[in-house]
This record gives sequence, C-alpha cells and structure tokens, in this order.
Amino acid sequence: MRTVAGARRGLDLWLWQRASAVVMALYLPAFALYAAIHAPLDYTAWRGLFDPLIVKLATLIFIAAALLHAWIGLREILIDYVHVLGLRLALYLAFGLLYAGCLLWAAAILWGTA
Amino acid sequence: MLTAPRGGCQSAWGGPARTDMADGRPFYLNLLRIRLPIGGWVSILHRVSGALLALATPLLLYAFMLSLDSPEGYACVVGFFASVPGFLLALGLVWATLHHFLAGLRHLAMDLGWGKDRRPARLSAFASVALALLLTLAWAVG
Repeated sequence: MRTVAGARRGLDLWLWQRASAVVMALYLPAFALYAAIHAPLDYTAWRGLFDPLIVKLATLIFIAAALLHAWIGLREILIDYVHVLGLRLALYLAFGLLYAGCLLWAAAILWGTA
Repeated sequence: MLTAPRGGCQSAWGGPARTDMADGRPFYLNLLRIRLPIGGWVSILHRVSGALLALATPLLLYAFMLSLDSPEGYACVVGFFASVPGFLLALGLVWATLHHFLAGLRHLAMDLGWGKDRRPARLSAFASVALALLLTLAWAVG
C-alpha cells in the first residue's frame, strides 16, 4: 500500500513556503515604491508600469511565488480540516490545476495576449 | 485503501469542559470558551487571512487583466473598488495582506531564532495585530 499523505514531504514544502514568502516580501514594497513614484496613476501610466521587461518578469515571478505559497498553505488547512483522504487529495489537486492555470493566465496578461 | 494520519479532538464541541484526558486537564473546542493568548490570535488570523488571499487570487488576476485591457476596463475596476461592496472587499484584502505580511515576517524572524522568548514573542504578536489594523485604517482614510 502506498502512503500518499504524511510528513515525508514536509521539509521540502516548508522551505518552498519560506522562499516564496521572501520573494513576495521583496517584490511588494519595491513595487509599491515604484508605483508611488509614478503616481498619480491613470490607465496609460498604469499600463506603462508594466512595459519594461524586468517589471514583467519580476511580476510574473511574484505571482508564481504567491500561487505556490497559496497552494502549500491550503494544503496545511486541508490536512487539518478535511479528514476524508480522497476528498482532501481531490481538493488539493483541483487547487493545483486552478493555480497552474492562473500562472499561465498571468503570463498572458503581462505579455498582452489575454 | 489510502491512509492518512488522523487528527484527534473531534468531539466535545461545547458543553461543560471535559476532564477525561489522561492527566485530568479540561479540553474543549468551544471557540467562545477558549481564551487564546495573543500569539494564538496572530496564528489563527494568519491562517484566516491566508485562506482569504488564496481564494481571492483568481479574482484579483481577473481585475488585473481588466485593468490592463483597456481604458474602459481600467475604469470598471476603479469603479468597482469605489463602490460599497468593492470597498469592503478591498478593505478585507488590504487587512489580510498586511496582517499576513507582518505575521509572516514574524515567522521568518523566529525561523532565524530571533524573538522566540516569551516577552519579545508576545510583543511582536501585539505589534503584528495592531500595526496591521492601524495601516488598514490609514489606507481606508487615506
């Protein structure tokens, strides 16, 4: 019988949760400052914020970190409250698919093809 | 069959405190009777704010797409967040972001071994809750 739950993956996920947190903690203040410099914002200025390639890439990496962080966090919550293992795994994988779609969607938005 | 570790404590949702634990201490899960220390409040609010943000992420991406799509889409997003339900949603998300951010920094500091003693831990817990609320208020009036 294969064990599909338990603490075996814990350290890996713990580390990714910290790494993604650090990425977000660096991006959010930096972007807030960047946006504040260009205030007041209208549509043209808002769009202009995401014109430089470096901003597109940083924003995409931030969104990837946020989605990974959310997925790992939801796993903790599911482990605590959803005790029917089949349902827990189904929800966990459903959010994984949703967030994978969100990442591709974010790339399409940033590169103007969404 | 797939198996998973089982959580305990699934009974005793209220009523008088049960005292049938091995060592005779009472335990109950009635949230109105549990007196959480401040660190416990930071912890449960970290989870609540995280769940809120995790569920809101696809909606925020949708708003992000609209805002970049066209001047009309931008005006639509700005208009929504200026409406009463939109403002309340934004208020909740701003608080969730701030609380999760500050409580998260506190977690990272503790991972590095900083502020783990009782006094600094309680102080930073108070600071996280208070600062998140104050900054949310500042955002709301600003």
